[in-house]
Amino acid sequence: MRAHAGVPPKPWPPSRRRFLALSAGGAVTGAAALSGCALQVASGVSGRGETVTLMINPDDLAPELIKQAQKDIGIKIITVKYDITKLIAMMTNGNPPDLVRGVGAVDAPYFIARGVAENLDPYFARSTVLRTGDLDPVNDVWRYDGTTQGKGPRYGMAKDFSQDSMYWYNTAHFDTAGVAYPPDTEPVTYEEWLENAKRLTRRENGRTAVFGGSYNGLNKTGLLANLTAAAGGSLFSDDFSRLDFTTPEGRTALGWYIGYARAGVGPSLIDPDPNGWDGPTYQAGRMAMSNSGYWLGGLINADPKLAELSRLAPAPVFPGGPRLSSCQGGTGLWMTTKSRNKDAAWRVFEWFFGEAPAKARASGGWGIPTLKSLRPLMPAAKDYQKRVLKAQEAELKHFSVVSFTPYAKVDGLDAVFNQYAPAAMRGQISVDTLARHLNPAMNDQLKRGKEQVG
Amino acid sequence: MTSITARRHRAFYMFTAPWIIGFLLLTILPMGFALWLSLTTFDGLSPRWRFIGLANYRELLSDPVTWDVLGRTGLFAVASVPLSILAGLALAVLVNRPVRARGLFRTLLYLPAVVPPVGVGIAFKQLFDTNSGAANGALNLFGIDAIGWLADPYARYVILMTVLWSAGNIMIISLAGLQDIPRELVEAARIDGASAWRTFRSVTVPLLSPVLLFQTVTGVIASVQTIMPLLLSADATTAGVTSIPQSNYMYMMHVFAQYFALGRYGYASALLWVLFVLILIVTGLIFKATSGVVFYNVDPEAKK
Repeated sequence: MRAHAGVPPKPWPPSRRRFLALSAGGAVTGAAALSGCALQVASGVSGRGETVTLMINPDDLAPELIKQAQKDIGIKIITVKYDITKLIAMMTNGNPPDLVRGVGAVDAPYFIARGVAENLDPYFARSTVLRTGDLDPVNDVWRYDGTTQGKGPRYGMAKDFSQDSMYWYNTAHFDTAGVAYPPDTEPVTYEEWLENAKRLTRRENGRTAVFGGSYNGLNKTGLLANLTAAAGGSLFSDDFSRLDFTTPEGRTALGWYIGYARAGVGPSLIDPDPNGWDGPTYQAGRMAMSNSGYWLGGLINADPKLAELSRLAPAPVFPGGPRLSSCQGGTGLWMTTKSRNKDAAWRVFEWFFGEAPAKARASGGWGIPTLKSLRPLMPAAKDYQKRVLKAQEAELKHFSVVSFTPYAKVDGLDAVFNQYAPAAMRGQISVDTLARHLNPAMNDQLKRGKEQVG
Repeated sequence: MTSITARRHRAFYMFTAPWIIGFLLLTILPMGFALWLSLTTFDGLSPRWRFIGLANYRELLSDPVTWDVLGRTGLFAVASVPLSILAGLALAVLVNRPVRARGLFRTLLYLPAVVPPVGVGIAFKQLFDTNSGAANGALNLFGIDAIGWLADPYARYVILMTVLWSAGNIMIISLAGLQDIPRELVEAARIDGASAWRTFRSVTVPLLSPVLLFQTVTGVIASVQTIMPLLLSADATTAGVTSIPQSNYMYMMHVFAQYFALGRYGYASALLWVLFVLILIVTGLIFKATSGVVFYNVDPEAKK
């Protein structure tokens, strides 16, 4: 994208003079962007007037809040858009951002095991804003003891969370199709969910007018690890150095997901949603069920008409399997070990997770707050909000952490799945053949990662 | 004499210095660095990476994905380069005729080539969307069921269409070549009784052959490095690159995924070096194969 921000729109074509001015503007902005890392080095002086660099997404922190931070805590926040390539470049040249965004459930073990994330236990011990007794259990996705996620020191914190196996549904589509609503606090089985999805799907001339249900998790391997746990097993071995889809539970999980894609009731690898996520399709009234946790309420509540029709339902179960409802995200921040200004970075960390931004997030409905003390801020003014909150509170009793391997990036494991699964989704190979393809290729990655981590 | 020669030499190096410095810093240095990375297990983060010699290259040769992507990329080059050259030449011949509003047609045909690839990606994604795209809307009008254009097996045709859509780029160069052909040669051929087709085949094409060779070489190099599959994907990110349809999973997608989805900087650098060498070989072969066929008005290898 060209760097023309701040230039007021003018009719096309621009005059030659204006064209030159635009080009010069682009060059200056470009030069500033190039030297951006150098400009962002923190002063190293403690006290007011410090600078902390956050690598986050634009949605993570509103510009007003960044300005407010300077008033509240006297620290200037510079944000850099999250991008793994840029993160590695900044780390390699010795100017890492101080705080970095990460998806706790899958990123935390990967980064911590590579020694680039700072142990925050000493900071938590001293903090009056973030007291460990006030932390929701979901923050355990940011703990790691050298082998297992969920135990050991804290390396980060989640900004908000959802139980990502739950799903939202639009009652209008259930009424049209004559399908009974799922109960608010009792789970349906995955088979029942898929049956409902088939009955809710509406097709016209080869197009899907209404998707009966979307069920893709936050990422494929995380989803499959969760489904395997829901079937009563574990995708990864105890030391996370291997995985196995050929166990009965792994096979159940894989079989169900491939069956979902074959049924064509929702977006999948062989029928991708052009938006990349369910939000716009659900909002447009073209999706009856969407596998998204509480956070989708942030989008749904913005449209009262849609909100009245929408309900949140518990995570499905497999017959005979345990009832569990984990968080596949837990997105938050971690501190880089090479941060130049850890005390100021920690102050921003406290502010981000316990003060103004945390309160704004809690009342926005885009996730469950990660401090228990902020729960009363969750939106509950309208009847539909009360109903969603009740379903969510009941579901929290079944919260669990499904640990992820530290030895491979989730994107890397997903790459293997994405390569072999389409054939199975089209029925060209069986689920058992798929499992036999996935095991060695994914285990190769885990083996390589284990050697790298040591 | 010597002082003039020395001054000339100095002037040559002074004027070319910006390019030489850029070439050293921005081409040779990164390539050397990538060559070094390709001999390691560097992942961008872990401090425990190490030198592993040629292991990445050995793995590359036994990696079925590498062979698959090479095959697909080769097929794409073989299909897309001749197609786009033929389309560009045909358009050039058409707008080289004395037709009314020919400047307008030239501009309109060239316009798509000005659209940045990212814009092309977005436009084609919307046109060919299964459920809300115009392509399926048109099919439905004729009573034909919608097609999943952006998924296998159709995704490969969409990418060929993006190539053809920007054939205006090739048209412009061919048009310049056509305008360079001496009119008297064409007229002489017609007076001798040659048909329009015969004149085109025996006068126009040979005189245009250096331009066609140039287009073939640059076209092949560009097509094996295409990132269009990523721009057409639903999730054009470092994570989404691996979920593009397998028929569009070409060499650069494999490289991109290895770098950023898997974090294998060493292996991905090895892949890039292999591609670089392959491009050198293929380019050499094209030059060799065409050395007797391409006609030059001026000897390109003339002595100083």
